[in-house]
Amino acid sequence: MPQNEYIEEHQRRHGKRLDHEERMRKRAAREVHKASAVAQKTIGLKAKMLNKKRRAEKIQMKKTLKAHEERDVKKATTSSDPDTALPTYLLDREGQKDAKALSSAVKERRKDKAARYSVPLPQVRGIAEDEAFKVIKTGKRKQKGWKRMVTKPTFVGESFTRKPPKLERFVRPMGLRYKKAHITHPELKASFNLPIVSVKKNPQSPLYTQLGVLTKGTIIEVNVSELGMTTTTGKVVWGKYAQVTNNPENDGCVNGVLLMSS
Amino acid sequence: MSGIKASIAPVPTANDFLDIVLSKTQRKTPTVVHPGWKITRIRSFYSRKVMFTKDTFNEKLDAILSDFPIMDNLHPFISSLLNVLYDKNHYKLALGQLNTARHLIEQVAKDYVRLIKFGDSLYRCKQLKRAAMGRMATIMRRQKDPLAYLEQVRQHMSRLPSIDPSTRTLLICGYPNVGKSSFINKVTRADVDVQPYAFTTKSLFVGHMDYKYLRWQVIDTPGILDHPLEEMNTIEMQSITALAHLRSAVLYFMDLSEQCGYTIEAQVQLFNSIKPLFANKPTILAINKIDVMRLDQLDPERAALVRSIVEESEGKVKMVELSTYTEEGVMDVRNLACDTLLASRIETKMKGTKINSVLNRVHVAQPKARDDVERKPFVPEAIASGERKKFDLNDPERRRTEKDEQEENGGAGVFNIDLKRNYMLENDEWKYDVIPEIHEGKNIADFVDPDILEKLEALEREEEKLEAEGFYGDSDDEGSMLDEEEEAIRSAAAAIRSRQERAKALSQDKNKNKHLSQVPRKFQNRTLSQMAERMTAIGVDPSSVMARAELLAKAKGLSGKRKRGGDEDDEEQMDEVDSEEAWEDEAEESMDVDEDEDAGSSRRKARKSNEGSRAIVSSGVTTRLRSSTTALTNKSGGRISARAGPARVPARDRSSMGLRNSEQRDKSIRLHELSIRDRNREAKAGESDRKIKEKKPKWLFAGKRGKGTASHR
Repeated sequence: MPQNEYIEEHQRRHGKRLDHEERMRKRAAREVHKASAVAQKTIGLKAKMLNKKRRAEKIQMKKTLKAHEERDVKKATTSSDPDTALPTYLLDREGQKDAKALSSAVKERRKDKAARYSVPLPQVRGIAEDEAFKVIKTGKRKQKGWKRMVTKPTFVGESFTRKPPKLERFVRPMGLRYKKAHITHPELKASFNLPIVSVKKNPQSPLYTQLGVLTKGTIIEVNVSELGMTTTTGKVVWGKYAQVTNNPENDGCVNGVLLMSS
Repeated sequence: MSGIKASIAPVPTANDFLDIVLSKTQRKTPTVVHPGWKITRIRSFYSRKVMFTKDTFNEKLDAILSDFPIMDNLHPFISSLLNVLYDKNHYKLALGQLNTARHLIEQVAKDYVRLIKFGDSLYRCKQLKRAAMGRMATIMRRQKDPLAYLEQVRQHMSRLPSIDPSTRTLLICGYPNVGKSSFINKVTRADVDVQPYAFTTKSLFVGHMDYKYLRWQVIDTPGILDHPLEEMNTIEMQSITALAHLRSAVLYFMDLSEQCGYTIEAQVQLFNSIKPLFANKPTILAINKIDVMRLDQLDPERAALVRSIVEESEGKVKMVELSTYTEEGVMDVRNLACDTLLASRIETKMKGTKINSVLNRVHVAQPKARDDVERKPFVPEAIASGERKKFDLNDPERRRTEKDEQEENGGAGVFNIDLKRNYMLENDEWKYDVIPEIHEGKNIADFVDPDILEKLEALEREEEKLEAEGFYGDSDDEGSMLDEEEEAIRSAAAAIRSRQERAKALSQDKNKNKHLSQVPRKFQNRTLSQMAERMTAIGVDPSSVMARAELLAKAKGLSGKRKRGGDEDDEEQMDEVDSEEAWEDEAEESMDVDEDEDAGSSRRKARKSNEGSRAIVSSGVTTRLRSSTTALTNKSGGRISARAGPARVPARDRSSMGLRNSEQRDKSIRLHELSIRDRNREAKAGESDRKIKEKKPKWLFAGKRGKGTASHR
């Protein structure tokens, strides 16, 4: 039985086929045509997947071409920014290179635009009560309808104690309670899984705020102590506001952006 | 202590993994969903997808995890070889990461199935499913590196030589380039590459050979350099692993000519530094390349250095010289190594506790001498005395053979040897007799019988004897008596046989008769005369029964008629047997004693009406008659024959009117039979019976068992 690197061994002893190089060249040249034939023949889900893959490849190729062109125009930035001290967990990240080609004027304009609004999501879709609450029939004959179940994700503080279940008007199901949120630091462009401290404001209605309903656009307070942020005076910041940027009821998680201006 | 699995299934890359799993989900779960469905149905539709994806991931990851061997469970040699080659920590980490990924995926599936339970629309459920699959995919995509690593390990593992750690093994080690691979190439068929530079062999190679009818495994190891264990590279570590963990005979190769590039001192030094690995192993110091430099030719100081190895070991190390180039001593080295290993293996086995269980069972039987007679092997006299010499081609006095004769007479093709000369026959003159193969159209071989004359004589003798005893004389007087007896036995036997035949035919026809409608026994008509006939046939005297039947009939007040009827009945029966068809007599003239009178009288009337020609009662009439009579039964199940009025019988038999002759009549009967055959088969009451029996029984369409394809219910 052949053992170890038997293919290489054989090639070393007897050499490759005389037309090996030729065959390899031809195969490489044929590859494009083959791919094209396959792409023309596939249908349905397979075609979708293939097209997506090819599109991604093309984009990648164009990007690399562009990167090569840019390198000719401007020199690459150094990996670490010397003027700001980076926290340890970001030391292994490379410096941002994608913004190279942007002129400083464009950068300025973007900053201005961002500065005009205080929060990333200034407007939200209205949510009617019957969407957020489900009526629960109570009573022995199930004819009473004053009880509500919240069908949106909620944050329930640790200190919350339920009212006697018979009298409780709003039920927040355990399955839809969230304790943590994925918060993006807009300057660091990094996301962290941070514990939620409280719901500050739900733009839909004060009732939602009171109940701790998490919908898109809700302002929450998160515990940023693990980020190690400090105020200008040198105090450690542990609570910071963030805005929910996704629809938690659709995604099964809470994503948000840290609000830096405040 | 299991080895590595022969073939591990390929490990897909992370992207392929995703494609496989997601497309399987797409293929194997329902794809059609409508927003109008009940929300519970929509929820279960999507949670099924999530669960299915999770299950598929689980299954695939499980397959990978169970395929790859757990290093701790392997033989120490294989385990540490894998450690050297693939790094145990890395390997464990990779498998561990896959295991974690599996748990994470399970967790995600659990979470999202819970969330889907709260989904209040199709859109929301779908989004949640999408998010779940996305998160699973992300987890899987992070396993790119472990998967790629495991695939590489798998490929490499499949090319590892299959080393059996427990079998008889010769292990070849030494400095690079001292002739280890040349030696293995000489003693086995392993085709190991040999090159004039160091580290040609980069991994372990295995060859197999036979010695003393046993299978031996020879392992060629890469060269080792003399430095501490920590500094050794992967290639050298493989050798060390083999040395450390295999119970084998070690062949330490040395090159005194120093062509390998290492001094004798260095080689001796290496031996001493790896000596701990040779403990409890038969070790052979093989001095190679003696075609260039022998131990004798070495200057005495260095020779003493080499010899010191053997001396220091107190006889544990044996030294041999060989040259793989001239092949001098190669086989000696092999044999010595094998013998010492065999001896040491037996020794260790004898020391162990296991041997007792084997020894208890081993018994060598040795025959006991039954007497003092010496039984020597038989040697023919001529050979023992040396009278007959061994055939020798060069000896002029040798025996003359047929071949000699052939050569003298012109050699093969010219001279043909005489095969008939050496025939052993009774008479030598017969040797060259010609015997034809076929004589008068018959094969002679068929008639050849060596004892034919004897047999003939025996026959003749017997014949004579019989004749003398008067066997062939006339003996009629006894014969007739015998014949009569025999005749009786024969006829009885024939009767028995025929009855058996009939019984057999009847039973074989059972199936044939099944679908034909049968007249129940109590409606079958049997006459007294039939019964009497049957009873006499069996051998019972029917007279008493007949008498009683007549008495009964008399008691009913039918005696006068009966008397007359009975007489006529008999005579009539006789006639009818002659003339009528079978179908008629079953129906018409067969009747009970009780009803004889009216049916009989009816027939009499009929006969009266057409005297000239015999009354032929068609089946149509008879059936009608029967149906009218069989309508009533008495308590005992018998038929009541008494009727209010006499049976109405047509004055003329119209069934046969208009028919010219008996042929036409026969034909009409035949056609009639044909026409009613189908309806009889379906057990119809008559032409007008249009009843359709239940075709779809309820039990096939009601209840739990469905439409019913099972033949049994």
